[in-house]
Amino acid sequence: TPQGALNESTLANLTGVEGSLIAAYRALDCTDSNFAFGGCSASNWGLGSVPSDDAYKGSEAQDFPDMTDIENYHWGSSGVEGILNNKWQQVYEGVVRANSTLRLLKEVQTSNPAAVSADAAKGIQGEAIFLRAHYHFEAWRVWGNIGYYREDDHDFQKPNLTSDQVAAELLKDLDQAISLLLSTPRNGQVGRVTSWTAKAYKGRVQAYAGQWAEALKTLQDVKNNGPYALEPSYDRVWTGFKEFENGKETILAYQASANDGDPNGNNANTGERLNFPHSGSHFGCCGFHQPSQNLVNFFQVDANGLPLSLSSPSTWNARNDNLDAKASANVALDPRLDWTVGRDGVPYKDWGPHDPTWIRAPGFSGPYSPKKMQHEKASGAESNVGWVPTQLNSDNIHLYRYADLLLMLAEAEVESGSLENARAIVNQIRTRAGAKAQGPGTDRASIAVPLNDPSITWAKYKVGLYTQPWTDKNAARDAVRTERRLELAMEGQRFFDLRRWKIAEQVLNAYVAVEKNRRSYIAAAEPFTSRHLLYPIPQVQIELSKAGSTSNLKQNPGW
Amino acid sequence: ATALTSGQVAAQRIRVAGTVTSAGGAPLGGAQVRALGSDTAALTNAQGRYAITAPGNGTLQITFIGFRPVEVPINGRTTVDVSLERLAVLEQVLVTGYTQQRRAEITGAVATVNTQAVERQTTASVVQRLAGNVSGVQVEASGSPGSRSTVRIRGVSSFQNNDPLYIVDGTPVQDSYVNWLNADDVESVQVLKDASSASIYGARASNGVVIIETKKGRAGQGVSRATLRVRTGLATPVRGYDDILIQSPLDYFQVVKQSYLNAGYKLADIQSAVYGRNLYGDPNSPSVPQYIYCGSNTTCSNVDVSKYGYPNNLIVPGSAGTNWWKQVFGTGKVGDYNLDVAGGGVGNTYNLSFNYFDQIGTARFNRYQRGSIRVNTSFNRAKFFTGENIALSGDRGTGGLPNDPGGYAEDGILGKNVLMQPVIPVRDIQGNFASGKAQGLGNQSNPLKLAYEHRDDVGKNGRIFGSAFAGFDVTPKLNLRSTLGLNVGQGSFAGYSPPLPENSEPTFNNGINENNSSFQNFTWSNTARYSANRGPHTLGLLIGQEVIRGSSRFMTGSLGSLISTDIASRYIQDALGDASTKSVSSSGSRNALVSYFGKADYNLLDRYLVSFTVRRDGSSNLGRANRWGTFPAAGLGWRLSQEPFFPKDNAIFSDVRLRAGWGVTGNQQIPSGRIVSTFGGDRGDVYYDINGSNNSIVAGFRQTQLGNANLKWEENRSTNVGADLSLFRNNVDLVVDVWQRKTNNLLFDPRLPGTAGLAAPPIQNVGRMQNTGFDLSVGHRGASWSATLNGSHYKNKILAIGGSGDFFYGPIATRFGNQVINKIGQPIGAFYGYVADGFFKDAADVTASPKQDGAAPGRIKFRDTNGDGQITLADRTIIGSPHPDFTGGLDLTFRRGAFELGGTIFGTFGNKIFDVQKEFYVFRDFSTNVRKDLLANSWTPVDATVPRAQYTTNNPNPKYPILDINDTYSRAVSSYYVESGSYVRMTNLQLAWDVPQRYARWLASARVYVQAENLFTITGYNGLDPALPAANVTGAAGDIRDQYRGVDRGSYPSSRTLSVGIITSF
Repeated sequence: TPQGALNESTLANLTGVEGSLIAAYRALDCTDSNFAFGGCSASNWGLGSVPSDDAYKGSEAQDFPDMTDIENYHWGSSGVEGILNNKWQQVYEGVVRANSTLRLLKEVQTSNPAAVSADAAKGIQGEAIFLRAHYHFEAWRVWGNIGYYREDDHDFQKPNLTSDQVAAELLKDLDQAISLLLSTPRNGQVGRVTSWTAKAYKGRVQAYAGQWAEALKTLQDVKNNGPYALEPSYDRVWTGFKEFENGKETILAYQASANDGDPNGNNANTGERLNFPHSGSHFGCCGFHQPSQNLVNFFQVDANGLPLSLSSPSTWNARNDNLDAKASANVALDPRLDWTVGRDGVPYKDWGPHDPTWIRAPGFSGPYSPKKMQHEKASGAESNVGWVPTQLNSDNIHLYRYADLLLMLAEAEVESGSLENARAIVNQIRTRAGAKAQGPGTDRASIAVPLNDPSITWAKYKVGLYTQPWTDKNAARDAVRTERRLELAMEGQRFFDLRRWKIAEQVLNAYVAVEKNRRSYIAAAEPFTSRHLLYPIPQVQIELSKAGSTSNLKQNPGW
Repeated sequence: ATALTSGQVAAQRIRVAGTVTSAGGAPLGGAQVRALGSDTAALTNAQGRYAITAPGNGTLQITFIGFRPVEVPINGRTTVDVSLERLAVLEQVLVTGYTQQRRAEITGAVATVNTQAVERQTTASVVQRLAGNVSGVQVEASGSPGSRSTVRIRGVSSFQNNDPLYIVDGTPVQDSYVNWLNADDVESVQVLKDASSASIYGARASNGVVIIETKKGRAGQGVSRATLRVRTGLATPVRGYDDILIQSPLDYFQVVKQSYLNAGYKLADIQSAVYGRNLYGDPNSPSVPQYIYCGSNTTCSNVDVSKYGYPNNLIVPGSAGTNWWKQVFGTGKVGDYNLDVAGGGVGNTYNLSFNYFDQIGTARFNRYQRGSIRVNTSFNRAKFFTGENIALSGDRGTGGLPNDPGGYAEDGILGKNVLMQPVIPVRDIQGNFASGKAQGLGNQSNPLKLAYEHRDDVGKNGRIFGSAFAGFDVTPKLNLRSTLGLNVGQGSFAGYSPPLPENSEPTFNNGINENNSSFQNFTWSNTARYSANRGPHTLGLLIGQEVIRGSSRFMTGSLGSLISTDIASRYIQDALGDASTKSVSSSGSRNALVSYFGKADYNLLDRYLVSFTVRRDGSSNLGRANRWGTFPAAGLGWRLSQEPFFPKDNAIFSDVRLRAGWGVTGNQQIPSGRIVSTFGGDRGDVYYDINGSNNSIVAGFRQTQLGNANLKWEENRSTNVGADLSLFRNNVDLVVDVWQRKTNNLLFDPRLPGTAGLAAPPIQNVGRMQNTGFDLSVGHRGASWSATLNGSHYKNKILAIGGSGDFFYGPIATRFGNQVINKIGQPIGAFYGYVADGFFKDAADVTASPKQDGAAPGRIKFRDTNGDGQITLADRTIIGSPHPDFTGGLDLTFRRGAFELGGTIFGTFGNKIFDVQKEFYVFRDFSTNVRKDLLANSWTPVDATVPRAQYTTNNPNPKYPILDINDTYSRAVSSYYVESGSYVRMTNLQLAWDVPQRYARWLASARVYVQAENLFTITGYNGLDPALPAANVTGAAGDIRDQYRGVDRGSYPSSRTLSVGIITSF
């Protein structure tokens, strides 16, 4: 008998099944068993944000240069393979955990039918199937052509499905989850998914698959009948304050926890921990995932408070200077900028003004810090254990939030020609954006203040609404996409959005053409071509799929 | 007149004295002189002198190991000088499996260690001293006191643990420290290298067997004899990083500056890009900054030192050049003190020894101490004998430099921390430790602080090792013996981690961790031996049975944020720290092995030898159905020189014997419990905050390990053909062996596809591996000089690995990808990467070369090995092997009068080293310090003002690529990291003087000596020390260090130790 381990029979009961399901949830962010930086993070900052126009790799040239390879589209390097393999292992570990929950459940139902009530069994099954779909979705949006694994699969060397086939499998699982799940979280535990989570996710998959008519139907159902709503103000979306977490905007979030007895703080925001400001700040961290100059410029608004990038498409990105508090004192800005980006002289939540010493190598990666996933001092969300505990917090990591859903619905409305419905949604998002701005941050109460608060000296915040009816489909589409970037900036979505909009090539090559003059290392970027639409499948996984001399997994085109 | 009868004369006891020498006249110290028919015996001193009281008409019997015993009638003389004739090598008696045999009767490959060379070294572990002293045996160890040794016999036969089996006084143990054994207690060391000699130990013998016998008293010795050995010495590292790295901050700044200039930065922008300010002042004539960090005063202008506050407002001055190596490494010390009392009467022997060993490492605050007591006694009464050999030992190691830090090797002081930039001072303005807490100065930790703060980290081990035995001679031909061996130990470790507020990625919390372990292993073996000769036939039979049981338990815990870090407060208790950080866990193992074995040796005319061995083992580590393995072996010997046709008194060939052996040994060295699947996981892995509480978690489980109920023995089939020759009237001995080992059913856990999840893959019997090679040993032992040359060669090849694919990567990658691969057709742990083909010369070269990411003049050019016109991961190939083509040791001894000069030279040839440290000291990952000659010897553009892509150079083949901050490409894993690891080193040299008796009449003998270890090294290796220790690497299936050899991650270098010592008997 092995010492100090449980075997399958000791777990063939309700405790075992529920525990197995808990482990399936845990894989939403980097786990101990797959601990590594960059690839496993729930937010996809490495795979969804760094290669987009939102962010630079950050830090200094000499730290984690593999991430520079991601940013510069050198995706054939062994460093990138390591990051991608890390992602591959993380998502399929999630699939395995979900599937073993389902297997164990079946076993218990056979051997001891009384052990699990029918309701519990349905709930467990629904949650596990949902999670399985989520993990496959993650793999799908990174690699497109992947294998789909269910609880009865014993051959782990299945060939890739086509991207369309994967979408069909995802929808099949999500439909099943919808039919099994209740509309409220089981046992009242907010971390659990519900039938609404699964419906919302179904809409997401349909939108990703370009099935706009179906997406419209699904997402409208969630909007009209579901339990979700926007948080009253933007600062409450990404926060460490417990009372603001798991509000109505949360569809699916990784429930981070700190000071929970894990000696290394590994249940906190593990996948995000590299992305905190440097030694001059309280966090003393590593400085990865820094916002780009392009992103900062993108938050400029015109006299109407509408995005400057729409009204002045040729000039909005002209600024090359450090848009610090002094430089932006009289610049009209969307207040979401200062919830998204740390800028010198501007209060950083309640940690005092951001300072040049917070940046690790400004000449390399610019003067800005990420801000969304960093906790407020007053929230007490910080860890007290682990390697550099100041970079660990219990801020939940959104995997899907209602604003994301609304904007995807707006896309669906545009594609189906209901432009005014889209305008209403965008205005709803913008109204919320205008509710509160970063305040002086000297105490808890002054973190978020009204836009016209006299203490704000570092910007002229303004958020205008689209008052004119939308009549032009292309303009409406642009407005929706612009809003989506502003709302979801630095959340690891941008690259995948550009790809599904089929404008990645155009936008990113144009971005590099300008940005290489701002950050010299970007001059080394490879042109973004059609092969970059999908990441290469890790070479080692292709090798491991060998049965005999042929690999069942085929590499993505161009790699 | 005195009327004594002749009988009375004869019976009168007289004092006889004399000298015992070898045939060449060299004195033999330690020979036994015994009056036949009495209890009286004496030993010769170092000058070969003895004195004994014996009947005037009696006979003296003089015996000495390695020499033919003689009997000399006294005939009333008071001076009897004796010259002993050296025994042919085949007449030596060796301890082999469960018995003793004359070398002439052994058909397998058995090597005897030169214990003299072993005694000339000072390391705590005797196995660490075997390097170069016995053919076919490789030893790797670091310079850290008390560290592990990795001993390999005839190559590597398994992906799993390849440690040999040690048999100490008959008790088996698998332990690669063997620190509990006092080296001065060792009488002899034999190495069983092939299956025909080792298969009697069946299970666990597949990696060879090292048989160690400790010193025993001698029956009939009479008076006890005490020997005191004292040795003390000083040690320094053989080489330091200060020989390799830049020592001036201004020189370092030139490197930084050049790497930005070459990337197209403007001179004026560089410092703000790197440091956020003009740290070094005018970039054209830089100066050492007064301060490198001044808290919130970001420009360090008008610094007000009264604003200093620890830990939040540090002020750190600039250093004119910190020699970080010298801060951490200096002079070490070693002291070794032994007292040994031995003797024996009629029917009893005893040997009692005490040892205290104390070694202060060359790294600061690093020390290893050991105390041990050994009691070996035996009693013989009529046909019954009994006794025991027991050692008690306790050791403690302190200090913060891990022997091997694991992972990327950055947590150790050496890996990258000692590569701190020279501008960083050791201490800040208030005397607290400083580090690179500023922009652009790297994120290493102050290595002296690490060493200092870990100074009270202590690891302790207590051990009882030994055996009790009893036997009965049923008839002169039949002997029964039972031995109960025990190996019981416990260990503990207590460590402290300091806050590091001075780091650029600071921490403010402290923490402690401690663990306790204990293990019990019992071995009970019972043997019956029968021997008989009739006429020309000699037959020896042995049958036996053995049971081994082992268990272990381990408990570890930690606590953070201690209120007081005083050593008296370092306990894991709620009140002493932040109770919410408390963590504790325990684990354990159990295993058992049951064996039956038998051996038959038949000898005809002392000319023809046949031996058979068979052993059957059952292991609890293996599947129920395949638990039992049978391991047969056979050997043949032909002593040619005994044939009638062989010319007598041959001037060249004194003795000639040919041997051949074949056999199977087994291996089950995997963790116990791998036959079943297990579930588990820990809080950071499977627990989840499903309630959204932010600070509490709910338990979860996952499959952590996949079992294999069909696990069976790994089998090692070996064939050995050898010859033992004594040449030139026994003056030269030559032993040559040619061998092959094939491992089948290799125990190994082939990686599963990622789609199968992260549970540890099942161990399977899927691989095959082959080793072939030869060993040779040539020796001459004369009166005035002796020489022994040992040499070995092996070639390792993976024949099959099963699972999917034909390779799997090594266990530890570099920061830039995997550099080790196990691939069919290649040796285990081969280096893998691109082939570096020099540097891109210019734009035309870039265009003309296969498409390569980031190709630019001055960067490293990789070879398109698959010829598809572009450099992709598929172009990676085998770029070197860590396995040597040949290793050898030459041991020389010269004697002149009372002086003796002896030394050993060790050499390894043909092995490669993958120098991971180049990531740092060439490619400057994490802004570490770099090699001294980096600026002078890197690819330099003729004109750096032209666009980057148009650079050209006058020197297309420099040592290093262009300094270019945007070059993230040249650092890819390639042959650029691979260097020759060949070296020749004088491992020890000793000059000894036997103090003439007239100076020390009260002593039986005295010898004083001076010695040096690692006096010089000849090597082309550019790193710190080519004598790399094996890295401690553990995989899901146990110790897998052989998949990761020859990788330099910054190891504790060997020491050059100078010591003096004295050996006296009284």
